[in-house]
Amino acid sequence: MGELEQAVLEALWDLDASRCGADVPDGHGASGREVHERLVGRDLAYTTVMTVLDRLVRKDLVVRQRDGRAFRYAPRLTRAAMTAELMHEALEGTRGDREQALVSFVGEASAEDLAALRRALDDLR
Amino acid sequence: MPTPVVLGALAVLLAGPLPWVLSRWSGLRRTPVAAMVLWQSTALAAVLAAFGAGLSLVTERLWEDPAGPGDVVVAALAGAVTVVVLGRLLLSGHRTGTSLRRARRVHRERVDLVARVDGGVSVLEHDVPVAYCVPGMSGSRIVVSRSTLTRLGPAELDAVLEHERSHLRARHDLVLEAFTVLHLAFPRWVASAAARREVEVLVEVLADRAACRTGDRRALVSALVTLAGSTAPIGSLGSAGSSLAARVEVLRDSRAHPWQAGSVSVLAAAILALPTLLVVLPWLSGLA
Repeated sequence: MGELEQAVLEALWDLDASRCGADVPDGHGASGREVHERLVGRDLAYTTVMTVLDRLVRKDLVVRQRDGRAFRYAPRLTRAAMTAELMHEALEGTRGDREQALVSFVGEASAEDLAALRRALDDLR
Repeated sequence: MPTPVVLGALAVLLAGPLPWVLSRWSGLRRTPVAAMVLWQSTALAAVLAAFGAGLSLVTERLWEDPAGPGDVVVAALAGAVTVVVLGRLLLSGHRTGTSLRRARRVHRERVDLVARVDGGVSVLEHDVPVAYCVPGMSGSRIVVSRSTLTRLGPAELDAVLEHERSHLRARHDLVLEAFTVLHLAFPRWVASAAARREVEVLVEVLADRAACRTGDRRALVSALVTLAGSTAPIGSLGSAGSSLAARVEVLRDSRAHPWQAGSVSVLAAAILALPTLLVVLPWLSGLA
């Protein structure tokens, strides 16, 4: 299932990128039909694509906007912005008194910590 | 001495002064496995002693023949306090567990959507170096950024990955979760914050040890220098800083400490077993 979600989101990102610059009259996002066409090589049923799109909307990864009788879908974040969000969570998780969802290799380091580390490295040479 | 008094005193000792002393004994980290067992047995014994104190006070008063109104009031109060302690623990456990699992699932799903998988490791396209793991029953992930891959040599990268794999293998997340539950249930009056901080250091020390066992120590330290040096936000000095210093100190010390490991393990076992044998069993057999 995750693999399908990835394919659909990739398709939305691609459609988003190809639309960039061109002034599209019908506004933001792509229709379910366009996403389905984009994934033509994968031999997916249209309803499957719609199910996955709905799931992505529920997960707040995709936003949809009513357009007549159908919806238009757009990724909430670009790929780079989503990566940045994850990086932020990873770096943020290393501090604070909250519960730790992620376990980092190394958290914040003070200047003294770094000096101690370099001394240890020199000793091991 | 009456059972409730002994158990109550024991609960106080195990929840306050003992963790306080242990958290100040930095040499304890040189035997991280035994230290981890000691912290867990201390926490478990403290909780059990607290329950034992409450329950034995209830039975002591109600089994009295005849039980006067005063006895009933004392028993009711003791029972109520015991129920509150149990309730707080269960509630905190439920909240922490639910929110951790949710945060991890949501994070993991998004990692799977944007990261490229390379040799079982998820790679995020980003120029800040990070390495972390997302623990989970239904699929854990080791995540690094592209910058980590370019900055680290092969041996250093192996050390980092082995460190993270050891976190996942040993389920360090469950130990951290248990101590977080305790801390959130009883944030004040007991040394739960110190205990959690120390356990956080110990899981890192244990993962460092595991990485050194398969790779070389130099590669690990050098990876720490590279990654710590570039993620550090300038001027911020968190509690995590001292945990890094502690890790370096343990990494520099390659000697074995069999005597310390042995005696700490015996202490850990004694803390759990002795109160049970000397206080709880006589009390239970007295009830029968």
